[in-house]
Amino acid sequence: MNFSSKLIEEAVNAFASLPGIGKKTAFRLVLHLMNQDVERSEDFSNAIINMRKNIKTCRVCFNISDEEVCAICSDKARQQSTICVVENLRDLMAIEQTGQYRGQYHILGGVISPIEGIGASDLNIVELVERAKDEEVKEIIMALSPTIEGDTTIYYIAKQMEGMGVAISTIARGVSFGGELEYADELTLGRSIISRVPYGQVND
Amino acid sequence: MILEQLHQHNNITIYTLNKIVLTQFKNYERETLDFIPEFNVLTGKNGVGKTNVMDAIYYLCMSKSYFGHSDRQISKHGCDFFRLAGDFTQGKKTLKIVAKVKNGSKKEFEKNGRKYDKLADHIGLLPIVFITPDDNSLVRDGSAERRKLLDNTLAQSDAGYLQHLIRYNKLLRQRNAALKKFAETRQVNHALLDTYDQQMAAPAREIFHFRKQMTSQLIPFFQEQYNEISAQAETVGLSYKSALNDNDFPSLIRAAREKDIILQRTTAGIHKDDLVFTIGDYPIKQLASQGQLKTYIIAIKLAQYQVLKSIKKYPPILLLDDIFDKLDNQRVTALVQMLVKRDYGQIFITDTEPGRIRNIIKEKNAMVREIERV
Repeated sequence: MNFSSKLIEEAVNAFASLPGIGKKTAFRLVLHLMNQDVERSEDFSNAIINMRKNIKTCRVCFNISDEEVCAICSDKARQQSTICVVENLRDLMAIEQTGQYRGQYHILGGVISPIEGIGASDLNIVELVERAKDEEVKEIIMALSPTIEGDTTIYYIAKQMEGMGVAISTIARGVSFGGELEYADELTLGRSIISRVPYGQVND
Repeated sequence: MILEQLHQHNNITIYTLNKIVLTQFKNYERETLDFIPEFNVLTGKNGVGKTNVMDAIYYLCMSKSYFGHSDRQISKHGCDFFRLAGDFTQGKKTLKIVAKVKNGSKKEFEKNGRKYDKLADHIGLLPIVFITPDDNSLVRDGSAERRKLLDNTLAQSDAGYLQHLIRYNKLLRQRNAALKKFAETRQVNHALLDTYDQQMAAPAREIFHFRKQMTSQLIPFFQEQYNEISAQAETVGLSYKSALNDNDFPSLIRAAREKDIILQRTTAGIHKDDLVFTIGDYPIKQLASQGQLKTYIIAIKLAQYQVLKSIKKYPPILLLDDIFDKLDNQRVTALVQMLVKRDYGQIFITDTEPGRIRNIIKEKNAMVREIERV
């Protein structure tokens, strides 16, 4: 694309550097901003700069946070006895969206996968083990992806917590809600049979 | 009696490939070939692409090249994709299998228009055994070739096996990568190794049992096939060599840990298994002549065929590539006559000389179709 203005070109390139945005969309966004009041653009860029400069990582759970400790960790109404371990922020948000969980979280920052250069020490595992030493913590819920690497990570963490008197559970794996049995793959269906649930325990 | 009647008579499921379409596959731009349910002989001079047709058939059944060619190598020179389509009959069902492979994209397999989520789900649907001059590597090369024989047979006979094998191999790669990383950082995380050892134990145990059982299933068929084609009375043997024969996996891998850390790779486990081939009381390598060796290898592959047949309850497709190169005329005659006599399923043979195989089996009243490639 050829622009008659160097200023436009720079702005387009900036937008186009974002994921999911091509040159055409970037140009449309730039045109839009150009046709608005200058204050709109100021607010817009200030919001980004502010966010980038002031965003923190919660020192307890590694969630994103405005303060030293995030809103979830400082919410006294939430249960202090359970910690739900997730891979990343997106997974935390997904679980929050369900509205089914009112405990604490811990973001690992990935799963153990030496092939991709991620070892145990690259993740927030030591911090998790420290947190679990707190008397108040009774249960750790492992909400990691059901992959081999996810399993490795769960095994590893469970080993670190041996003898600490904390219950460790994993999220259920099996047939998806509203799914039909005949379309479930063998591995999933097999697991669902092995880890079946007594009737009446499922409240849906 | 033609094969179809024979099968109906014995109440065996008919399983055949009726037609194949190759598009930009190896040396073929576009080619359609029709086959009969009995003997299909592909004739033509060296280099016209007979073996490529065989490999295309194998690819449709196993979702990869028999010769270990990567998908990129398979596309016709200068093309970035290839496509294979095969019309199969299995009992009363017709199966249209399509493979679409494009460089840089995930390969796609379809059964009757429905795409497979996982290629592993396709393996075993269309059992196949391929005999080629390349099989000499079974004896000549390292243990990997012999494990491949076991793995290939097991993958075709039990869907669960492949799952265990994939799981084990992924964990093995992670463990090896971890060992490399420890060497770089000069810090060994024993807890992580404990984790991998524990995770690998279950699939290792399963794979061991599967392989052990498969070996014992192969032995009687192997002896029978060997005696039949060699017309000799030597005892041939197969034994499954695995460290798990004497140890359980956890103690085995635990004992190897210090060595693993130094060598930066996993030195013990079922990925070191082997098959030991014997004739009389000796290992085949020491004893056999070239001719003996070839007979021996064909007998192993035919034993694989018989095992698959007994598990599937119907005969697999048999591909025989360049057997005249492997055996003298007399042995080929014996072999082909054996194939006609017994209830084998659909057979594909390549030969450089037209008419040679037809002459061998003409009096047996079997259907032969020659496809000349020029």
